[in-house]
Amino acid sequence: MVSDLLREIRFLAKDRGALFWLALAFVLSIIAVTFGVTEVRDQQRTIAELIEEDTADRANALKGQEDWGGAAYYAFHLAYAPPSEFAFAALGQRDSSPWKHRVRMLALEGQIHQADTKNADFGLVGRFDFAFLAASVAPLLLILLLYDLRAAERTARRHDLLVATAGSSRKLWLPRALVRVLALSLLLLIPLWAASSLVGTSGSVIIQASFVLVGALGIWWLIVELISRIDASSSVLLTALIGLWLALAIIVPALAKVAIETRQPLPNGGEMLLLQRETVNDAWDLPKEMTMAAFLEEHPEWRDHAAIEQPFEWKWYYAFQQVGDLRVKPLVDQYRAARLARDHEAGMIAFLSPTSFVERSFEKLAGTDAASMIAYEDSVRDFHAQLRAFHYPMLFREEPFDRNLLEDIPGFVPSR
Amino acid sequence: MNKIFRIAKEEWRLWLRSKVIVLATLIVAVLLTTTSVLTVNRVASEQSQRLAQQVAAEETFFAQPDRHPHRMVHYGHYAFRPPPPLAAFEPGVDAVTGQSIFLEGHRQNTAMFADTKAAADLGGFASLTPASLYQLLLPLLLIVLGHALLLRERESGTLAVMLAQGQSGLSLATGKAIALLAVIAIFMLPLIVVAIHSVLRGENALTAAGLVGSYFVYLCLWGTIVLAASIILKQRAVSLGALIFIWLFAALIVPRLAINASSAAIDAPGKIESDLVMLAEQRKLGDGHNAADPAFQQLQKEVLEQYDVEKIEDLPINWRGVVASFSESELTDLLNIYAENRMEQEASQSHLFNLFGLASPAIAVGSASRSLAGTDLATHHRFLRESEALRFDFVQSLNEVHANELSYADDMNRSSDPEAERRTRVNSAAWRVLDEFRFVPDSASDRMNRAAFPFAMLILWLVLAGAATFLAARRVRV
Repeated sequence: MVSDLLREIRFLAKDRGALFWLALAFVLSIIAVTFGVTEVRDQQRTIAELIEEDTADRANALKGQEDWGGAAYYAFHLAYAPPSEFAFAALGQRDSSPWKHRVRMLALEGQIHQADTKNADFGLVGRFDFAFLAASVAPLLLILLLYDLRAAERTARRHDLLVATAGSSRKLWLPRALVRVLALSLLLLIPLWAASSLVGTSGSVIIQASFVLVGALGIWWLIVELISRIDASSSVLLTALIGLWLALAIIVPALAKVAIETRQPLPNGGEMLLLQRETVNDAWDLPKEMTMAAFLEEHPEWRDHAAIEQPFEWKWYYAFQQVGDLRVKPLVDQYRAARLARDHEAGMIAFLSPTSFVERSFEKLAGTDAASMIAYEDSVRDFHAQLRAFHYPMLFREEPFDRNLLEDIPGFVPSR
Repeated sequence: MNKIFRIAKEEWRLWLRSKVIVLATLIVAVLLTTTSVLTVNRVASEQSQRLAQQVAAEETFFAQPDRHPHRMVHYGHYAFRPPPPLAAFEPGVDAVTGQSIFLEGHRQNTAMFADTKAAADLGGFASLTPASLYQLLLPLLLIVLGHALLLRERESGTLAVMLAQGQSGLSLATGKAIALLAVIAIFMLPLIVVAIHSVLRGENALTAAGLVGSYFVYLCLWGTIVLAASIILKQRAVSLGALIFIWLFAALIVPRLAINASSAAIDAPGKIESDLVMLAEQRKLGDGHNAADPAFQQLQKEVLEQYDVEKIEDLPINWRGVVASFSESELTDLLNIYAENRMEQEASQSHLFNLFGLASPAIAVGSASRSLAGTDLATHHRFLRESEALRFDFVQSLNEVHANELSYADDMNRSSDPEAERRTRVNSAAWRVLDEFRFVPDSASDRMNRAAFPFAMLILWLVLAGAATFLAARRVRV
């Protein structure tokens, strides 16, 4: 076996066509991880700057405040999801879902859907990251490396001679294909490993990612192997393989996407916001007891402090902000559940498409999949709850304003 | 001439006899038709839905009860961007940007609820639109059909016979080109139907024709490249491999690399980032809610002099309204500087991306088609600008009501005196200051102008490929 492999390595070294595809894979992998690492560093730098500016701005905003309500009204807080140490390989949803927010004590639903995303063209075309290379381009390169093995020998009129001298055809084609699959995998993975050691990706993530890539290439190898058993000319084989690639990489995912999104409709986002805004604004004209009653259902602990005597009081103001959020909570939950259900079904369908499977697996490892983005939004909601939990005692017990206590305002802590 | 057509006819006869080719063509045709029908329906329903939402938003605004005008400033309004008719073919950035925006005082919000944010994630290019099928799939079909156009004659030995009979390489190539052109013409039909449909729905005929023309040039370009490969290369498998390599580069790799490059080359700050920079400046302007803010001392002096009174209490207008109006206008100027800057950066990123059309015709045709359809980034930016103008107008009109129709004393005491509070509620007829907002696509000439550069790149590609094919065809030897 070893001698067979060595022989095939020597043979590969003289096959210019194959070397070209392998070199291309290597170069593309280097390009993909380089851009990925640059982008992640860029995002980290942006976050570092934002934290600094945000702290300065909040300090400035709090400086002139004289009551708890005003302090809560004017202090914005930065929330963000830092890129994971594997995000360079799969930027995934970070181009289409927001990963940074500035929120304050007002109704959260009016703030959390703000989408501070990048240039729309980026989200439309997509980036050339390692996940895309591994999921979509690598199979094509593998097809181009393997489709021709038998047919080329037939064309060169060596096929029958080779099979006869090798004894069994397995002893001949298996090492030849194996060498190419391994070479392709290694050339794709080496830049990934190098970049991972540079940014300090954890070993287990790298091992999983490598397994996903090699496994997917193995499946494509199997497909090529089965198709090329058909006794047809190499151009017909290539046509058939490209057709299969197209079906598995583009058509199955696209049809599945339409089907999933029809099965799992989202509540209309516009209506969600409209309802929230109506509730918040109507509160100004409603008897204040009504708002407070709705608020007390959620927060019975403030029952003894909920009497509103003035036309305007901060505790009433924040109460109706929260009542607005509570009012749309069913819709918001529905929206979130539909997103999760879509993601879950997409995960099922991905077993039918190696391309989707690889891309989703990489995004999952990198924490850039839909579930991670939803988890980030959940953490923003949690943080907003912490803000409320900090301010409500001050507002309802009408604690005297104490500037020193402002230092205890909770800050956003990213979950990673 | 007859001979040339006979060559073309012979090619078609061969294609129709090949099961693989007939099957591949049928699959593409079915895919194209279904995608077109689905997208046309989806875009039509989205268009009417958003128009209805826009009307409903206006009606709820008008239907608000009597209240303090500043409350309406915070009540706010919505702007919706309905898709233009040609979005049925090319939805463009529509799915990425979100199509509605909340407009309120003191803030510029982002568009919300982009489809992609909540989409089922199946990786790379999961969403199929008629445009993406034309850009990605049809070139591949042309490659499968045509990679052996002339090669076939060479391989079967008929080339020598035909050349010996006095056929020139050029007329042979012309015959093959006509065969492929007929395929392209047939596959233009779905696009032509969608284009006619969009004209019936109010699209300008010239831009619709321009869209059809761009894709025709694009497909002809691929046909030419395919023909050239079949003339120049000597083996079927090599020709197919080389063409697939070109496709891989032009359709998959270069566009995404172009995104990486333009993102890395030009740093467009996000909204939060530029907002924070701006906020530091904004503090200097003072807070429009607090009329006693020192930043308004200068304004106060000027207004008191203008009305020739000593105290703000003596002004015939409501000082708080004046302050609200003044600070909104100052703030908006500042917000717009930063918003414009952000949009300019994004536009230059996209411009850089478009330049990569010189490396990949798929980029060129994509840019041309988004511009012509009115679904490009520039249209989204215009939507942001127009909705901002709408925001500023209604906020300032309400501030004018605030200044002219409320007494300063009532306004000051409304938080503690219920009677004063009641007097600060103005009649709801005042809400009519809100302008009707109907977002319409850019004029045909604007869109044509934006598409001119990518279209020129396509023509350049076609001329170069055509010249290469011509030279190769002239030198066809056995």
